[in-house]
Amino acid sequence: MPKEKIVVICPGRGSYSRETSGYLSKNISNLSKKFIDQIQANRKQEKSLGPLELDLMPFKSSIHMKGENASTLIFACSLNDYLSIDKNKYEIVGITGNSMGWYSALALGESLSNQHAYELINTMGSMMKDKIIGGQLIYPFINDEWKTSNKTKKNIMHEIKKANAYVSIFLGGYFVIGGDQKSLDILKKRLPPIDDYPFQVPYHGAFHTPLLVSISEESYSKIQSSNFKKPTIPLIDGRGKIWSEYSTHPKDLYHYTLGTQVTTSYDFTRSITVALKEFCPDRLVVLGPGNTLGGVVGQILIENSWNNIDSKQVFQLAQQKDPFLISMSLSNQREIVSK
Amino acid sequence: MFNRAEIIDSNFLTFINDGKFPHAKSPIDIPGYRFNNHDLISIFESQVLSRHMDLKARLLKEDGKCFYTIGSSGHEGNAVFGRVFSLNDIAFLHYRSTPFFIERSKLVHGATPIYDTALSFTASSEDPISGGRHKVIGSKKLNIPPQTSTIASHLPKAVGTAVSIDRARDLSIKERNLKEGSIVLCSFGDASANHATALSAFNTASLIQHSGGHVPIVFICEDNGIGISVPTEESWIEKNFSQRNGIKYIRADGLNIIDLLHKTTLANEFSKTKRQPVFLHMKTVRLLGHAGSDIEVGYKTLNEIETIEFNDPLLHTARIMIDKKILSKEDIINIYENSRMRVSQVFDQACTRPKLNNSKDVMKSISASNIKRKAPSLPDEAKRRGVFDKEYQRLNNKNHMAGLINYALSDILLRYSNTVVFGEDVGKKGGVYHITANLQKQFGARRVFDSPLDETSIIGFAAGFGHNGFVTIPEIQFLAYFHNAEDQLRGEAATLQFFSNGQFTNPMVIRIPGLAYQKGFGGHFHNDNSLAIFRDIPGIILGVPSNGSAAVKMLRYAVRLAYEEKRIVIFIEPIALYMTRDLNFKNDLKWSFEYPTISKEIALGEVIKYGNGKTLTIISYGNGLYLSLQAKKEIEKKINKKIQVIDLCWLSDIDIKNLLKLIGKCTSVLIVDECRRSGCYGEGLMVDLQKASKANLNIDLHAAENSFIPLGESATSTLPSKDSIIEAAIRMLNA
Repeated sequence: MPKEKIVVICPGRGSYSRETSGYLSKNISNLSKKFIDQIQANRKQEKSLGPLELDLMPFKSSIHMKGENASTLIFACSLNDYLSIDKNKYEIVGITGNSMGWYSALALGESLSNQHAYELINTMGSMMKDKIIGGQLIYPFINDEWKTSNKTKKNIMHEIKKANAYVSIFLGGYFVIGGDQKSLDILKKRLPPIDDYPFQVPYHGAFHTPLLVSISEESYSKIQSSNFKKPTIPLIDGRGKIWSEYSTHPKDLYHYTLGTQVTTSYDFTRSITVALKEFCPDRLVVLGPGNTLGGVVGQILIENSWNNIDSKQVFQLAQQKDPFLISMSLSNQREIVSK
Repeated sequence: MFNRAEIIDSNFLTFINDGKFPHAKSPIDIPGYRFNNHDLISIFESQVLSRHMDLKARLLKEDGKCFYTIGSSGHEGNAVFGRVFSLNDIAFLHYRSTPFFIERSKLVHGATPIYDTALSFTASSEDPISGGRHKVIGSKKLNIPPQTSTIASHLPKAVGTAVSIDRARDLSIKERNLKEGSIVLCSFGDASANHATALSAFNTASLIQHSGGHVPIVFICEDNGIGISVPTEESWIEKNFSQRNGIKYIRADGLNIIDLLHKTTLANEFSKTKRQPVFLHMKTVRLLGHAGSDIEVGYKTLNEIETIEFNDPLLHTARIMIDKKILSKEDIINIYENSRMRVSQVFDQACTRPKLNNSKDVMKSISASNIKRKAPSLPDEAKRRGVFDKEYQRLNNKNHMAGLINYALSDILLRYSNTVVFGEDVGKKGGVYHITANLQKQFGARRVFDSPLDETSIIGFAAGFGHNGFVTIPEIQFLAYFHNAEDQLRGEAATLQFFSNGQFTNPMVIRIPGLAYQKGFGGHFHNDNSLAIFRDIPGIILGVPSNGSAAVKMLRYAVRLAYEEKRIVIFIEPIALYMTRDLNFKNDLKWSFEYPTISKEIALGEVIKYGNGKTLTIISYGNGLYLSLQAKKEIEKKINKKIQVIDLCWLSDIDIKNLLKLIGKCTSVLIVDECRRSGCYGEGLMVDLQKASKANLNIDLHAAENSFIPLGESATSTLPSKDSIIEAAIRMLNA
């Protein structure tokens, strides 16, 4: 029987929460153990808590959501999940990610060794250890039924621009808005409240905006371009560009990762759209704890009427029958793809 | 044995595994060559993807899921053009350009060339360029207007677009679409390079360059040595094009991507810096026949077929990769098989996407663009005074049609800074009937200019300038001359918005002096009385004024429609009425009019009604209307009752409902059509009225005989006259 073709999606660092405590320890497999051990050893050397310790201790925002901890934890979870996928049944035809998930994607696609990926993740996650630059707000442009209008979207974009803020991430039916605190405070007042939104994500900086130019510049002196190699599986970045296994110029990948990606909008919606259209996988597989990306990907499927999924209801029904979107955090779906 | 697609596919893998490669036809080490290995691999990847699209299309065709199998196999070299030329360089491509399309798409992050092409191959309504209307290579984002042409008929507009680039810069046209310093690309095959339309384009480019004008265009001749089944003699293209005045010739080996990269770079730099035309001659091969239905063994020996197949561009590129140690044999096979898998997944998915399934959806993009824009405000009096100069004082004097259209054009050029007027003799001379007199003096030779004596290039220019934000007002000197340019309207300009789902447009108002009744002057070719050429072209508008006042108001509306809705309007000016001042008798001046107030227009579907009598309604236009009004008086005298005469003004988009309302209780309708009976607009009107009317209407058509126009005294003998109209009316009323 031919293998099913899948595209793997690496989550950003916001997907680890109180509800997902213990996720890594519960799912850790022998296949990933040596890599997780390596990360543990690195962390120990840096006198920091390793991902397994973090995973097992009671969740505390002030610990778990800090960049240097959250990034390591998510990377370890993604790596573990990725290695759990049954390669005899599934052929991975592309890898993408959201925000920090791009760094995980680089590792899984072998553009970076796990050790170099850890260094990158740790470096980028720790650079705002002492002082976070700006912040991020999440705000939806869809209603409960995941429907939207171009007008609503346009109006929000207009408010963002007016407040001197930026779209940090195009995230399905949500804008993740980046900016300095003054801009975010204006938006908190200007944007009509919808449930808990606009919601400011704690311990998050103004990622993927020009506010991080200095961080980007500094990162070049900390990360070597020679760490970057061609991927072994196509990668789809936060602009929807496909980095092929053969024609990728590692130097370009390095500049995108430390430059463009850090200082300009990350378009997760587009990267998933490109993954769907240019690879037409049989399934999408979201790695990592939590299921926040599940809904977001569902919204992107609806936007593209993918597999005739054109509403939240149809999406939920399709997911119950034979899920096109596999979230490894959901045990019944995890079973489908893991060994 | 006959499934060459399968053979080519399996040969590729076998030959790679066996290390059996075709010999290089040109060197692969070129001094000064600037591309790196990643560029070469990227090109190879695009070539392979394109090949698999061709192979998959043939498989799907067998299942009835794919509707177009003219492929790019053999032409994979054109991926190089996608890498070398900038995204700013608008590309008019022929149908074997999928590798170009894939490679250029890499310049736009988030582009989805495989899926988009698959949607196009399978005629899905989600195809982002044509919306499922045609398999075309095109994309708004990639700056590639779609071409359906198979016969190089896109070349004249490509030349027009090239000329428009520097012109738009010089005139600071704010509506322009193309970037300063960009050039135009235009590809076609060796066989179609013989086409009259193609030759018109080469000639025009050469002529303009020779006269010191800028024509930044790279003509790319993808010479595969055969046109369907007829071989092109090996040296024909080179001999025919290497010595053309004003067009630089560069020959490249289409099977050697390194040579092609180098030569294309030279062509690009030459055209960009010198703003001159280049003829880039890419020698290549054709694989898989002309299209899926073409069986090559009918006209080629198996040995010939196999020799050509062994020169597969993919094998040539693979050899370069291995010789230069850029890729291993295994890498090449991986790229090939991964691409096959990817293309197969994507095409299978595309097959499931929706199709157009009703005429309403099909016709959505027949006429208008999706984005409407508001016309500039009317020019102020001070500016008008400046333009009209001494003539300003005479605007309120009664004048004939020729004089009034001339005024209208001045106002239009003043109001719409993106309009240009061109045609044979329209510049200094002001046109053979002086309709464009003084315009060049008023607005300069960059906006009002003489064209070469070639109607194909005139309409090609109009379409090309339209691609770059201009609204053009070309003049075709006489109606009969339009036949030389027919395909530029019918096949190209009129179809652009349809096949691009309204994303590309070429608005224009084509002015054509025409029709008969010229008192014996000129014979048929200056008196042609058929408009049938325009009647069946979907989406275009046709107007024929009958007097100067109507002409001005209609022309203003036509240009506004072209500006706001990007429409194509044909404006026929009856030559015989140009200088006519009187209606019923000498010096009655009833056919002389004041220049209408600047805001006045006659909208599409609007008519002019003369009289209210309900005994008879005469419907006409142009000269026929003029004669009908002369006849009206006498008919009324003869029957001692009043009748009414309706001037249609616009022959397309006739508002039948309104017409029936105006006809009212009148049961006799006489349509007077000065054009030849067969194919005249009156024919259609008669049917439409009959079908729409609930009353028992008595309708008759009085049209010209199906004859050409003779010279001299008999010039009007085949046409409706005042007397024949009276006779037809009385006969009808007496019946």
